[in-house]
Amino acid sequence: MRFRPAWVYINGIRDFGEFFCRTTFPDPEVAARACVVIQETLENAIKYSLDDNSDELELEISASKTKVEFSVTSSPDRLHLDQLKAELNLLRQADPEAAFVAALERAQREPDASARLGLARMRYEGGVELFISEVGNSRIRFTAIGQL
Amino acid sequence: MSKLDTLVVPQVDSLVVSIAPPNLLRLQGTITMQEPSRVLGGFLRAVHEAVVADAVRVFELDVTELKFVNSSAIRLFLDWAGWLKAMSPATYRLKILTCRKFTWQKTSFVAITALAGGHIELVAAS
Repeated sequence: MRFRPAWVYINGIRDFGEFFCRTTFPDPEVAARACVVIQETLENAIKYSLDDNSDELELEISASKTKVEFSVTSSPDRLHLDQLKAELNLLRQADPEAAFVAALERAQREPDASARLGLARMRYEGGVELFISEVGNSRIRFTAIGQL
Repeated sequence: MSKLDTLVVPQVDSLVVSIAPPNLLRLQGTITMQEPSRVLGGFLRAVHEAVVADAVRVFELDVTELKFVNSSAIRLFLDWAGWLKAMSPATYRLKILTCRKFTWQKTSFVAITALAGGHIELVAAS
């Protein structure tokens, strides 16, 4: 699915992802997890996309017998990419629940700063592990992989 | 008239906000806008202050029909937990009525409750 990085699309795409997962996978929890992953992934991609009318996001959802994979390809500004890598490295130092609690504690300590809960939430509530790769032309692919 | 009675509820797409004095706030729908704190943060702070002014001892936040929120909205509830924790002593207890079928409520509110210094109680109402 390809579309302009606009906030107004998120609800519709999340609803489609929820429907797709609910219809495709027998476990209803997969659809709930998909909602979290799609919402937070798209929000991040849209917030930090380059301010460029030609930019385009690409969302892919795929599955094997044991795994479901969500990936969003986008063109973020360089500063955001570096922050994203640093945040993922930090999160990986703890299990998903502990990392989520730590993210909440940080947000509570810094009430005027951005909450930065989305990645930790995806890992814990979405039950996915997160990866970033650079795919050329200043584009990155953000991938969330979860067990079925 | 209680202070809670005087509050004007915000009008938000996809969310119904209602107050039932003396001690209930109900949120129904979804919160997925870009900056929920700008739209709802001030209102929730006003609710907190009204509850304190009205000397309510137990205040209920009903989210049983709050189907989904983004992580920026989770921050709203975290802030509320922080206001309670910062009171010394807290003058009221926040009882959050949740729904088991919404996974996000289970994961988020349990963690937020742990950061509220014992002033939040979770009740699985449906």
